Amino acid sequence: MRSDTTELGDARRRVEALVCDLPGGNVDERMFAEPWELRAFSMAVAAYHNGKYEWSEFQLSLIQAIRQWEEGNAGEPWSYYEHWLTALESVLADNGVLSDADVDARTREVLAVPRNANHHEAHREPVAVSPARG
Amino acid sequence: MAPTDTPLRTQAEIAARVKALESMLIEKGIMTTEAIDRLAEIYENEVGPQLGAQVVARAWTDPEFKARLLADASAACAEMGIGGLQGEEMVVVENTDAVHNAIVCTLCSCYPWPVLGLPPNWYKAPAYRSRIVREPRKVLAEDFGFPVPDDVEVRIWDSSSELRYWVLPQRPAGTEHLGAFELAALVTRDSMIGVGPVGTP
Repeated sequence: MRSDTTELGDARRRVEALVCDLPGGNVDERMFAEPWELRAFSMAVAAYHNGKYEWSEFQLSLIQAIRQWEEGNAGEPWSYYEHWLTALESVLADNGVLSDADVDARTREVLAVPRNANHHEAHREPVAVSPARG
Repeated sequence: MAPTDTPLRTQAEIAARVKALESMLIEKGIMTTEAIDRLAEIYENEVGPQLGAQVVARAWTDPEFKARLLADASAACAEMGIGGLQGEEMVVVENTDAVHNAIVCTLCSCYPWPVLGLPPNWYKAPAYRSRIVREPRKVLAEDFGFPVPDDVEVRIWDSSSELRYWVLPQRPAGTEHLGAFELAALVTRDSMIGVGPVGTP
């Protein structure tokens, strides 16, 4: 159940080598504030590992997403991983993997599923108790 | 193009979009859940658990806050600017000399992620979800190397989408001189799940 820290360390160094050339590179911006940010981050790296695009394409896409934010969209607060997500969707669309409309449709489906769809009962007592012995 | 033209999206909408994207890429065989989990695992300790650790450290140093935390964890966490997106109710269960608590989600992987970040893979695995309920002492001792003394009762709490539990571990001995910042550094993710100890100074 415990990870090999060396293996994890090596894996992390490989990812860091990828992201160190990206814009918006300071450590505070890179910190994950929400679980979705880490999922989006991981997906971009996984899709790249899968050969869906060159890393340089993602890099350019991210630069462009950030530039668009800088040039307009007044009032939108800075969110590094929103740009990241925009960049990921763009680079996937450019490579014909999926379209914006597809993602929109699926997103509506996700939002339409009640969050308690399959697990709605609150259990207010412990589900197991192992009493003190002796 | 992605919808940069839409006005402010809520965090819940963005989270749904990420989920949608992930499910589509998996269906298309572009990546596997395992590959994403594996990458996420590299960073998972950087999301979340430090927020829970701050809450625990404050509870250890501020008895009135602790009382509020145990009475209404969602409200107490909100005081510190920590909260869920969908208003799930959170309940904190306190470890004492007589009772040790641990959490599980028996049906899926409900987890108090606003305070603990992403669940570790083993938390989502069927083995943990079933065995921690059937033989909690054995799982804690054998799988986690964290035996609970015989004279301490073990309680296992089942989280759901409505109600998410997490554990307030006991403040370790010999930390009377430490401030909240140093105390928070001792609080581990596993100690808030109830499957591991807090650190020692």
